[in-house]
Amino acid sequence: MLSTVKSWIDKTKQVRERSRLKDSDYEFIFDDIEEDVYVCFDCETTGLDRKNDRIITLSAIKIQNNELQTSTSLNLVVKQPEDISEESILVHQIRNVDVVNSDFVYSNEQEAIADFLQFIRGTTLVGYFLEFDVAMVERVLKPWLGVGLPNPQIDVGDLYYDYARSQIVRSCIEPNIDLSFDHILQQLGLPNLGQHDAYNDALMTALIFLKMKQI
Amino acid sequence: MAITQQRDFLSQIPPFDVLDEATLFELADSMNVAYLPELSKLNFEEASQSGYLYIIIKGKVAELQDEAIISHYSVRGFFGDSEILGKANKVSIYEMLEETIAYKLPAKLFMKAFDENNKFSRFFSASIVDKLNRIHRSIQSAASTEVMMDTVCSAHIHQHISVNEHATFLQVTQKMTEVRSDACLIEFDDGSVGIVTSSDVLKFVATEPHELLNSTDVLRRIAHKPVHSVHEFDYLFNALLKMTRYQIDRLAVRSDDGYTGFLHQKDLMSMFANQSGLVLLKVDQADSIDDLIQVGPQIDQLIHSLNRKGIKTHYIAKLVNELHRKMIYKLIEFLLPKELNEKVCIFVMGSEGRSEQVIRTDQDNALVYSDDVSEQELGLLDEFAAKFDETMQQIGFPPCPGNIMLSNPEWRQSLSDFKAKVDQWFKKPSDENFMHAAILLDGEAVYGVESWLTEVKQVLRKRQEDYPVFLRHFAIGVLQFNTPIGFFGGLITDNEDKQHNHIDIKKGGIFPIVHGVRCYALEAGVEQTNTHWRIKALMDKGVFTKEFGIELGETLNYLNTLRLESMLHQLSEGKELPNNKIKLSELSHMQQDVLKQSLGVVDAFKKRVTQHFNLQEMI
Repeated sequence: MLSTVKSWIDKTKQVRERSRLKDSDYEFIFDDIEEDVYVCFDCETTGLDRKNDRIITLSAIKIQNNELQTSTSLNLVVKQPEDISEESILVHQIRNVDVVNSDFVYSNEQEAIADFLQFIRGTTLVGYFLEFDVAMVERVLKPWLGVGLPNPQIDVGDLYYDYARSQIVRSCIEPNIDLSFDHILQQLGLPNLGQHDAYNDALMTALIFLKMKQI
Repeated sequence: MAITQQRDFLSQIPPFDVLDEATLFELADSMNVAYLPELSKLNFEEASQSGYLYIIIKGKVAELQDEAIISHYSVRGFFGDSEILGKANKVSIYEMLEETIAYKLPAKLFMKAFDENNKFSRFFSASIVDKLNRIHRSIQSAASTEVMMDTVCSAHIHQHISVNEHATFLQVTQKMTEVRSDACLIEFDDGSVGIVTSSDVLKFVATEPHELLNSTDVLRRIAHKPVHSVHEFDYLFNALLKMTRYQIDRLAVRSDDGYTGFLHQKDLMSMFANQSGLVLLKVDQADSIDDLIQVGPQIDQLIHSLNRKGIKTHYIAKLVNELHRKMIYKLIEFLLPKELNEKVCIFVMGSEGRSEQVIRTDQDNALVYSDDVSEQELGLLDEFAAKFDETMQQIGFPPCPGNIMLSNPEWRQSLSDFKAKVDQWFKKPSDENFMHAAILLDGEAVYGVESWLTEVKQVLRKRQEDYPVFLRHFAIGVLQFNTPIGFFGGLITDNEDKQHNHIDIKKGGIFPIVHGVRCYALEAGVEQTNTHWRIKALMDKGVFTKEFGIELGETLNYLNTLRLESMLHQLSEGKELPNNKIKLSELSHMQQDVLKQSLGVVDAFKKRVTQHFNLQEMI
């Protein structure tokens, strides 16, 4: 009963969203979702301000049949109107020169997101603190097409939280679960592939996702 | 930015490291990542799962044929190549022993690299000696350079000068001044060589009448013989060992065609600005038991770092045993009353005698004393023996489980008693006596009157000739343990081991080679104790062909390396007395592959021993 109501609400919401779409060329973003096809993605940004910061790089990897399709991964680099601030360089180690040297650089975020939309067509999105990455994409998407990302979303942080909770014997004290990326990798016995860049993070997030799916 | 890591990963896995950049990148960029849950299986008969080379990022995989494990693969190992190359005569199923993450490389691209690159394709059809050399080379090139392991010719070599024995002393000093050398070789008419050094010149000027400077028959009298020399392609540590062993400051350097110059200790020492050279000197300079206790852990560290650098275990063993002997020598010097120096011969036996013990796991030693010691001296010897036993353990030599130690009166006897004891071994042969004979045969004197050990061994050799049947019974020990390799070439793990993971590499591979070579050496009258030197001597005598000798030596080296690595691993896990087991799951596929081939060599050697010593009807 509850699920019927939920799916009805979802449906209504989607119809409403679809009616807001500004460009009919992008109808495909509302395509039906395929089963067992996921896209894991991660952005590196100029900062943590969802309103004013911008995407520098975005990596997305498709997951199908327990396999990460790294050979066809999407790796976007966006040209920056301003120089990248020093603090953010320290986090993700992308220097201005790296952006200039990348094989292909999108001159603005909108073109990059257009390719991303093609890539995630009909898939479920997966990420770590996915809400932030989605917000960064929607910051571009909403003014441009008038809609948010309609794809279903799975946050591995939530999956891990539920898993970790289930491992703990019930008590009246709320457990303190460490949701840091490295801790999760360590707890799940997954290899840390080093260097935090969008691609590696997406790859490791995808591994966490596959492992959580097994458990 | 993104896939660099994938490219790096692949470029570090032999043989992919030989590919040119463009091909390597093409291969790396085409890889997907497969997540394979624990206990899931890959069946190469199913089209959807075959057609890829799997390279493991994390996890452990077993290869099964007819439900028997024939191989293990772990991190950086890859599988699927024999299927892709059509070399597999049977289809394998791969089972994930642990959750596994692996790159999947499409067969088409793998084949392309295989067809285009000779070096790459040769990897998949190489012989055991090739593979071993490549393992050593690849580790060696990856590691930083270790001076110890440089060759002699990389050091500063002083110019070679020599004169005929009929030259005058004055001519020698002029020649030395001319090229600023402090030594000169003297060539004798009978083909031998002597040496005159600057200290001889000083001594001559101070003590001899000066008119002799122009005499032509002085050199014959003054020159020192023999000249200690080192080959220009020998390792520097061997040069240093020779200098400390003979307490000399210089060595003549020779090439295949003759002498080429001199190597000085001060030039050598300036290159050893690292710990390995220092340990050597530390043992030399130790002047208390406490000093010796401190050296032990430093030797262990040295073993660690030399092994990491891919130095062949044979050389590590040689260096370490030299150090151990020096430690024991020093210890005896500290403990033995001076008046007994000329009345004893102390020797080490077994693996120490063969210079094959790397990690200190055991001690076998004995003491022979002169037949005319007094009651009081006997008392001193008893005291010494007890103290020696105690301090040996303090400086890190665990006691011998069979109590073959000089603290045991059985192994501390007068020369004639000891000889009679050896005689008894032949009169009352038993497994224990055979073992004692084998251990004694590997003995090397450390302290005192060395010739007594030779005398005792002589009894052994003589008796062996008197009782020809002895050698046959002695040799049967080679067949005592089964080689852990199956009829179809798979590795057989220990029976009692439920995880199918452990192999006793000493029983399964090292012991048969060591003992078999010992039998051949006894038969052929080879005096060397080290197995590698025995093999070399047997090759020189034509008992072994060159190919067979080299193969046997390299195989022994490899098995010893696996044992050493396993022991180091056990030590690092806090185990005090490591055992001889190796864990298959900790070996890469390449290592297992070579292990299988090595055990094949062991099996072939056993067959040879069986035939040679006529053991068929005794089994």
